Amino acid sequence: MLEIHNLHATVEGREILNGIDLHIRPGEVHAIMGPNGSGKSTLANVIAGREGYVVTEGSITFDGKNLLEMEPETRACEGLFLAFQYPVEIPGVANLYFLKAAVNAVRKYRGEPPVDAMDFWDLVHERMELVKMDESMLKRSVNEGFSGGEKKRNEVFQMAVLQPRFAVLDETDSGLDIDALRVVADGVNALRGPERGFLVITHYQRLLDYIVPDHVHVLVNGRIARSGGKELALELEEQGYALYNEEPGRARRAAA
Amino acid sequence: MTVAAVVPIDFWRQRFADFLAQRHESAASRHARQAAFERFEALGWPTRHQEAWRFTDLSGLNGWTLQAATDAPVDADALPTLETAHHRMVFVNGRFAPGLSQGNLLPAGATMTSFSQNPLPNPSPAGAAALEQHPFAALNGAFWEDGALIHLPRGLVLDTPIQVIFYATGGDMAVYPRLSVVLEDGAQASVVVEYRGQGRYFNAPVAELQLGQGATLTYHQIQQESAQAFHLGAIQLQQGRDSQTQMHLMSFGGQLARTDIETLLDGEHAQCLLNGLTIGRENQAGNYYVRVNHAHPHGSSQQSFKSVLDDKARAVFDGMIHVRPHAQKTDARQSSRNLLLSKQAVIHSNPRLEILADDVKCGHGSTTGFLDPNAEFYLRARGIPAAQARAMLVYAFANDSLNAMTLTPLRERLTRLLADRLALDGSMIEALIP
Repeated sequence: MLEIHNLHATVEGREILNGIDLHIRPGEVHAIMGPNGSGKSTLANVIAGREGYVVTEGSITFDGKNLLEMEPETRACEGLFLAFQYPVEIPGVANLYFLKAAVNAVRKYRGEPPVDAMDFWDLVHERMELVKMDESMLKRSVNEGFSGGEKKRNEVFQMAVLQPRFAVLDETDSGLDIDALRVVADGVNALRGPERGFLVITHYQRLLDYIVPDHVHVLVNGRIARSGGKELALELEEQGYALYNEEPGRARRAAA
Repeated sequence: MTVAAVVPIDFWRQRFADFLAQRHESAASRHARQAAFERFEALGWPTRHQEAWRFTDLSGLNGWTLQAATDAPVDADALPTLETAHHRMVFVNGRFAPGLSQGNLLPAGATMTSFSQNPLPNPSPAGAAALEQHPFAALNGAFWEDGALIHLPRGLVLDTPIQVIFYATGGDMAVYPRLSVVLEDGAQASVVVEYRGQGRYFNAPVAELQLGQGATLTYHQIQQESAQAFHLGAIQLQQGRDSQTQMHLMSFGGQLARTDIETLLDGEHAQCLLNGLTIGRENQAGNYYVRVNHAHPHGSSQQSFKSVLDDKARAVFDGMIHVRPHAQKTDARQSSRNLLLSKQAVIHSNPRLEILADDVKCGHGSTTGFLDPNAEFYLRARGIPAAQARAMLVYAFANDSLNAMTLTPLRERLTRLLADRLALDGSMIEALIP
C-alpha cells in the first residue's frame, strides 16, 4: 500500500535521506528505529508533505498513486495520517469541532455528505474511551495547555476518529510514562486490521512491547541499515545503535 | 514628501463663514462654534511632524473638495438591522432622518432624541474638554449639525439596546455627527453605534459618554465606512464611582479610520474594558489612539486591541495608561496583539505607561506575528484545505474580540461578516471556540 523507492530528501540543502526503500502492505505494522539524527522524523514529514522537505530522488506511492505530487491535505483525504512528534497548539480552535471539520473535509473529498451530528458524537464518545480521554479536552482549544501525554493521546484520538488507511506515528512514545504509553498502544492496537497499515517511528524499543510490529527497520544516516522481524528490536535494546555508527562521516560529525 | 498641509486654513475659514451665515441659532451656540473653530485654527491641520499624527497619513485627502453636508435620500435596506433594538436613530450626513428612525415608548424620565428635536436647550456642543488637543473634534465643535442624545435618569435600566446609525452618502462631503450618552447614577444602557456609507466622504464624529455613580454602559462602535471614506473620530468617556463600561470597537471599513479615545476614571472603583479589533486589507489604515486616565483609587481598566492586516494594510495602536498620584490600587492592563498576513502590512504598536502612584498593578504587552506555518500544516495534515486552514487560524485569532460582545445578534452578524471576509467555509465556523 505504501511503496517507498530509493528516496532521497534534503532539508535546507542538507541531505538527510540517502535512498530509502520500504514496502508496506495492508495489515502490516512496520517499525522504524534509529539513533537521533538518522532521518526518522524527516521520513515522517516527507510522507506527510511538510514544506521544506525536498525530495531530490526516488518515489513514494500510496495505493499506486504518486504521493509526492499531492498537497498535504490531499494525502490526508486519501487516507494518510501523521501522528505528530510535536503536536501544535492552536488557540481558538476547539478540539472537537476541528476534528469534525477534518472529518467533513475528508468526506467532501470523497463526495460524501457531511457527517450526521449524532453519528459523529457517538463515534467521538466511543473513541474517547479508547484513549481514556477526558471530555473536557474536547471543548478546549486544540492541544492548548495539554500536557505532553495529553497531546500524544489527542493524536491517537484524532487517528481513531479519522480512521485513516495508513498511519505514521512519529515518536508518539516520547515523553510518555508507562500508563500513557499503554493507552496510546491500546489505541493503535484497536485500529489494527487487515486493511490498515502503520509505520511506527521510535527511538526506543519500549513502545514495541505494546505495539508488536511485523517488521523492524534500522535507519542510520538516512538509509535502512538492517531489516528484520520483531526480535530485531530486542537486539537493538541490548546492543544499542553503536554497531551502526561506524560510518566515517557521522563519526566526524560526532567528534566535531 | 508631498504631504504638505492638505487642507489650508483659509479654506476652512471660508467654509466656516459660509456655514455660520446659514445657521439661525442662539448667540451662545454661535459663540461655542466660534470657540471651537478658534481651537482648530490654533491646532492647525495635523501633519506627520506632530508626534500624535506621525503614523496617520492624511495625504489621501489631497484633491478632495470637502463639500458642506446636504440632505440625501437613503434606502432603508442599506441600513443594518439589529433585531433586539427597539430604539433606532438614523443620521444621514450628520442630519437626523426621522423617516428611517424608529422610537418606542421610553420609560419616564428617559430622553432619546436628536439634538435638533430636543425641546430642551442644547448642551454645549464643544463640551468634550478632554479632546481639546484633537483638531477634528474641534472641527466637529465648529461644524456639527445634529446628533443623538441619550439620557437615562437615575436608576433606569434599559434592557434593550439602542442603535444609532450614522450614514454618509459620499460626494466628497464632510460630515460631523455627534453623540451624547449620559447615564445618571445606577442607570444602565447598551448602545450600538454604526458607521456606514457609500462613495467618498470625510467623517469626523465626536461621542461623549458620561456615567454617574454605579452606572453601566456597554458601547459598541461598528465602523463599516465605505472603502473610500476617511473617518477621524473621537470619543470621550468619563466614569463616576463604581461605574462600569465595556467598549467594543470593531473596525472593518474606511480608507483611513482613526479613533482617539480619552477615558477618565473619575471615581473610586470605576472599571472599563476597551476591546478593539481592526480588520484591514488592501490599502486600508486603521488607527486607535487610546488614553486611560486613572484619577482615583481602586480603578481598573483593560485595553485589549487586536488587528489582522492583509495586503498593504496599516494599523496603529497607541495606548496610554496614565495613573495619577492618588490613584492607588489601580489595576490597569493593556494588550496589543497583531497578526500580519502579508509582508507589506505594517503595524505600529506603541504601548505607554505613566504611573505616578506607587501601589498599583499595571501591565502591558504587545505581540506581532505572521500565521504559524506549523499550525497551518497541522490543519492541512488532517485534511483541511490550505486556504480554509489559514482562514480558520485568522478567525481563531480574531474570535475572542468578537466573543467579548454579549449582544448576540450583533456578535453573530459580525461573526458572519468576518467569516465572509476570510472566505471561511460555513462548516468550519463551528470549529471555532464560541
